[in-house]
Amino acid sequence: MDPIRELELTMTRRQLFGRTIMGVGTAALSQLLHASGLGFLADQEDGLPKLGKPRPGIGGLPHFQPRAKRVIMLCMNGGPSQLDLFEHKPKLRELYDTDLPEDIRNGQRLTTMTSGQTRFPIAPTKYDFKKYDNNDDGVWVSELLPHTASVVPELCVIRSMWTEAINHDPAVTYIQTGSQLPGRPSLGAWTSYGLGSMNEDLPTYVVLHSKVSSGDADQALFSRLWGTGFLPSEHQGVSLRSSGDPVLYLSNPDGVDSVLRRKTLNDLEKLNELQLNQFGDPEISARIKQYEMAYRMQTSVPELMDLSKESDKTFELYGQESKTPGTFAANCLLARRLAERGVRFIQIYHRGWDQHTNLTGNLPKQCKDVDQACAALIKDLKQRGMLEDTLVIWGGEFGRTVYCQGPLSKANYGRDHHPRCFTMWMAGGGVKPGITYGQTDDFGYNIVDKTGNVIEPSIETFTPGAVHIHDLHATVLNRLGIDHTRLTYRYQGRDFRLTDVHGHVVKDLIL
Amino acid sequence: MKGFASGPILAAGMACALLGVGLATPTNATHSKRKPESRIVNFNKDVRPILSEHCYACHGPSDKVGKGGLRLDKSASAFQKRGDFQAIKPGDAAHSEIFARMVSKDPDEVMPPPNSGKPGPTPEQREILRLWVQQGAKYEKHWALIPASMPTIPTEAEVGQKLAPIDAFLVQQLRPKNLSYNPEADKRTLIRRVALTLTGLPPHPTEVAQYLADSTATAYEKMVDRYLSSQRYGEHQARFWLDAVRYGDTHGLHLDNERAIYPYRDWVVRQYNNDLPFKNFIEWQLAGDMLPNPTREMLVATGYVRMNPTTSEGGAIVEEFLAKNTFDRVDTTSTVFLGLTVACARCHDHKYDPVTQKDYFRMYAFFNSTADEPLDGNLFTPDPVVKVPSPTQERRMAQLIATEKSLLGQVSADEVKNWIQIQKPQSPGLKAWEVSGPYVAKNFDEAYDAAYAPEKADQKAAWKPIDLKLGAALSFIGRDNAASYLQSTLIIPESKPYLFSIGSDDAVKVWVDNKLVHQNKALRGVEQATDTFTVQLEKGERKLLIKIVNGAGQDGVKLDIGSPFDRQVQDVKPKLDTPEGLLEAKKLYLTGGPVTASAMRYRDTVREKDELDRQIPSTLIAQELKKPRQAYVLRRGEYNLPDKAVSRAIPEVFGDLPNGAPRNRLGLAQWLSSPNHPLVSRVFVNRVWQQHFGTGLVKTSEDFGNQGEWPSHPELLDYLAVRFLKHQSLKQLHKEILLTKAFKQSSLVPAEKVKIDPENRLLSRGPRFRLDAEVIRDQALFTAGLLNEQRGGKGFKPYQPPRLWEEITFPGSNTSSYVQDTDKSIYRRSLYLFWKRTSPHPVVMAFDAPMRESCVVRRSRTNTPLQALVTLNETAFVEAARSLAMRVLNSNGSDLDKLNTAFLYTMSRPASDREKQILLASLADYRKEFEAKESEAKKLLSVGMLKPDPKYRPSEQAAWTLIANTLFNLDEFLTQH
Repeated sequence: MDPIRELELTMTRRQLFGRTIMGVGTAALSQLLHASGLGFLADQEDGLPKLGKPRPGIGGLPHFQPRAKRVIMLCMNGGPSQLDLFEHKPKLRELYDTDLPEDIRNGQRLTTMTSGQTRFPIAPTKYDFKKYDNNDDGVWVSELLPHTASVVPELCVIRSMWTEAINHDPAVTYIQTGSQLPGRPSLGAWTSYGLGSMNEDLPTYVVLHSKVSSGDADQALFSRLWGTGFLPSEHQGVSLRSSGDPVLYLSNPDGVDSVLRRKTLNDLEKLNELQLNQFGDPEISARIKQYEMAYRMQTSVPELMDLSKESDKTFELYGQESKTPGTFAANCLLARRLAERGVRFIQIYHRGWDQHTNLTGNLPKQCKDVDQACAALIKDLKQRGMLEDTLVIWGGEFGRTVYCQGPLSKANYGRDHHPRCFTMWMAGGGVKPGITYGQTDDFGYNIVDKTGNVIEPSIETFTPGAVHIHDLHATVLNRLGIDHTRLTYRYQGRDFRLTDVHGHVVKDLIL
Repeated sequence: MKGFASGPILAAGMACALLGVGLATPTNATHSKRKPESRIVNFNKDVRPILSEHCYACHGPSDKVGKGGLRLDKSASAFQKRGDFQAIKPGDAAHSEIFARMVSKDPDEVMPPPNSGKPGPTPEQREILRLWVQQGAKYEKHWALIPASMPTIPTEAEVGQKLAPIDAFLVQQLRPKNLSYNPEADKRTLIRRVALTLTGLPPHPTEVAQYLADSTATAYEKMVDRYLSSQRYGEHQARFWLDAVRYGDTHGLHLDNERAIYPYRDWVVRQYNNDLPFKNFIEWQLAGDMLPNPTREMLVATGYVRMNPTTSEGGAIVEEFLAKNTFDRVDTTSTVFLGLTVACARCHDHKYDPVTQKDYFRMYAFFNSTADEPLDGNLFTPDPVVKVPSPTQERRMAQLIATEKSLLGQVSADEVKNWIQIQKPQSPGLKAWEVSGPYVAKNFDEAYDAAYAPEKADQKAAWKPIDLKLGAALSFIGRDNAASYLQSTLIIPESKPYLFSIGSDDAVKVWVDNKLVHQNKALRGVEQATDTFTVQLEKGERKLLIKIVNGAGQDGVKLDIGSPFDRQVQDVKPKLDTPEGLLEAKKLYLTGGPVTASAMRYRDTVREKDELDRQIPSTLIAQELKKPRQAYVLRRGEYNLPDKAVSRAIPEVFGDLPNGAPRNRLGLAQWLSSPNHPLVSRVFVNRVWQQHFGTGLVKTSEDFGNQGEWPSHPELLDYLAVRFLKHQSLKQLHKEILLTKAFKQSSLVPAEKVKIDPENRLLSRGPRFRLDAEVIRDQALFTAGLLNEQRGGKGFKPYQPPRLWEEITFPGSNTSSYVQDTDKSIYRRSLYLFWKRTSPHPVVMAFDAPMRESCVVRRSRTNTPLQALVTLNETAFVEAARSLAMRVLNSNGSDLDKLNTAFLYTMSRPASDREKQILLASLADYRKEFEAKESEAKKLLSVGMLKPDPKYRPSEQAAWTLIANTLFNLDEFLTQH
């Protein structure tokens, strides 16, 4: 905060309580605080909690009228196979175990896991696809995602995502922070920094980790993915955990109940006020405020995590696993509750989407973990009137190759990483519902234009029909009312952006 | 004043507006005494930031000619006559085109153009530009690129009092604002401030008492000296450097396995304590390996070069990570030493600073030829490394080697030879190996299932000789979805079961005399797993056939049969006449021969030596390849788009390496540590200033470039830099700063001073800022009497909530599960925290510690509710409160005395009356509460490993614990003040 403004506030506060009758002043103050802490619970209307105070973002934001107030990002870590989920390529059936034509591969660099392969045999998907009606020409979805298929009229399916990164660490860092190298703020941190909080009783940016039922949580995550890089650390994603304290260190120590804790906090308040009177440093009043917020968080977080008031119908919608804390389904339900409570950016991670081999053994389990809950989240937000200002995003850090890695049979196969095209979907928050965007060649290998000619998109210019990671970020920020070229932070003499010097809002994706 | 377009009224208004804006204050006190309209504009301070911000992106250093042929960073281009106008006409703002462009309403004309996304200069900024043009549009080289020279120290007359140089510079700027220093802080505050800023720990109450009792004139200075010579000094100072060089105990990328580099961390601590001359500090770290006859200390120092995060992700491309690793080294070196961000120049010429893309890759060439593999193999000790024994270990190792040597010397050669000769082979002998294949199949299953010619009695396979060594991996297939066969003849010395072990990439089948004895349809690497099995073999010759099936990529086999010792004995038989063979034979003889007293001693010695060798830590160091790698300008910074070849050089704007400096890392280090380097010493002294006052003289301590902030006190910065270069001593630098009146001021924040100087950049009040993460934790442990001051060594693992590592780390990583230490290590100083770079400890993360994945020289300093939760509830903080409670209870006296004791430990002062009143009332309440619920008290006393003290009632300990907990959360405790 501006120090002068803070000082003025301090002065007002001091005048309010008076310099000499601190006892009365603080008592009154803590009463006020106490009331506001409990008020959170008392003021529920229509089952919706009253939000705490907002924290403003930076001046001048939003740049224009936002269409989305918040984002829920469903991160399928490892790189889901677009060819087994969204890319219907029936001609490949006949090409089983034939070599991928050299002109299709066209110099694409390969990971060193398959660059030594002498053959690139085509592995057609084992799964059946069906076409579902949307607001456009319909969209093909694999039998592995029946629930997702049921909400395609809400989805904006992008089949022409692309990235340069071909290995997990750089690729996932790229899609979360806009850079392949560590050190930059994450998308959620930028959002918190730019737009501030809608409810200071909860973290602005929340991260949820999901159990993987197959047990193979292959591939790693890194704190940097929800970190702040060079932005102040208050913008970092806060993990909301399914066991132990939901927010780290939220619970009072064993043996200390809320009455004792309140007493300690009252003392802290009084003693810090003494210091404030003596030294006049506005930072002291800022600290007093943080302790008040911490106290309110001790009430608001357990209330948030408590699913007991959710209806049976809701659990049916999300699936019975949603009653088990830490499942992807439970996290989706929590995401909806977080959204209701004004949390700006919610990120759910689900690991294990890295099917180099045994794809047909693993992928169905992965899909089963997430499919119903993804659809439920869309339906639930919609029925509560929140889908229109909540942007939901689903996808991984890259796609997978059409050619087989490791043993190939009709029943089973593996796929390596593929950066040239992959599928993501978005819903709500001002993106066009029920459309597909972009297409790929018959091999699901290259992005093509409407006439089937291969597009070679470049990061330097916007290529219609192709959506780069930076374009995705630009578009997401746009929905939040942010011009991605103007959300900057001066660090090391440079005005950094999430989108570096690239990125274009993909107008065809948005309302 | 001729030529002024606007009247004095406007100009006066302008000047006032300027003075109100942050630091836009004249550097020379005499300026402000003049009338406002005559204000002289300084290019570097006033004008360059405006041009850099609004114009340089297109008309700056990044473009050789500039957009439209105009560069505003070069006078020749800016003043050039272009038809009937000039962009800038010195002395004539009215005929300088830039002004017309800045206010133009025509979207095609106006500058900056509307699509640049940048607003144009404000009216105030335009006025500065106008004044500058009117005053002759004088350009200057960027201040930070001009070597610092000793400035004139303001005289007593100028500052109105006799002052030490630093204070003279500071007061010189306070006077025109009618500001003066706060009064000196009281002695208790001073000793706490000094102890914290130098050692990262508060003073012990006895140190406070000692200082209070010393009424001599030099008491303060002596106190400063004491803390400067404390070992804790190095531990605290090292931490800032470790942030800058991104120190961590793991590789940092993908698997994020542990790696061996903590001896470097301990080196940093040691050298701060030794006050290693600055020049050596730079040279050893950048190029210790290239110094003549480098000592171990010099080699350990080069861990600096190896500190970049690394990976060995399956699929990673070597060339890509060679480039990425090198980028990181260049970027870090530029930031920590030059205070310049050069990363932009990786893709294109720098827009703001005079660093071209070519410059970038010439710097890159200094760092791209180290001997370490670009992919780290996920290893703990990826080469090159150096062993770093402690003095004790080193002495013991020398003894053991001597003993071993002497025992070997005592053995009779004849006896050994005889013994070796009579050893009958226990393991099968093997005839020559042959290979057949590869047999390529359509897929893996087929390759595994199909019986190719070697398996079939009725078919004749083509065999070729192959050199397979037992116990060594061999790759020999070279195709995907393919099988190859190996065959040999086993010579079985006696009928019995023999042990086979085989690692295969991927699947394997084994036959003896055409009978299948083992199969495993594995998909794996050779070293990943080994199948072991025994086979009953009859005396005589037996045919051995092995089939290896490769799925994809790498293939291979690694085979062993029988006992390795036996094999070594048989192998050495033909070599007994060579000195090496004989020595080997002696070793085998003492290891496995007759059990004599000296053989027993030899075996014990070797065992201890091996064990000691395992215990001696290694650390990653830099070494240069014999033949350097050619560096290229990489187009758009992409590793696979090499352009022109470049050779090693420093950025052109700095000239060339010093005379005689070699064109390698050592030469680079010599340049950085050269006595007339314009940046390095300024950058260092600025960071030291930042440590003590919370903000540097250049606020943007990571950026001294065009976009960085103008120093609040340029002459002071130069004064400190010049002196530092001369005396080379960080301790001396600290001392001079700490002895100033400025540092000793009280940190009261009077409202009227805030209005004039909200950020305290002019330093009319003492330092006041929240302490860093590590200090907050260490201070609580220290005041509680829990801190374990064990120095150096492997990082420790304190309390941490469960599953933080598990839920994000790759399951195959060796840091995928957190195993907390269970001894007193958990109370060590935070400097020694085991630093997992993809998930650092949550306590330090809550208080703004960086991840250590990239270079950070200035931490953010936030104030969040999550921090409050840490100090209120985290196990170590609650345990520390318990420990402080016991400490207080152990002190004699009344509750009042005890409370004072608690205050003396935590705040270095006794409690005030009002504080006593508040806290004693609460103490009584807590007591009552816990007496009524003793089980709750016991619960609280079970937090942490520390056992409750049976001398005191649980309710008493619990009540005092909450008092201590309160103190640990006071702003005063968390703040340097």
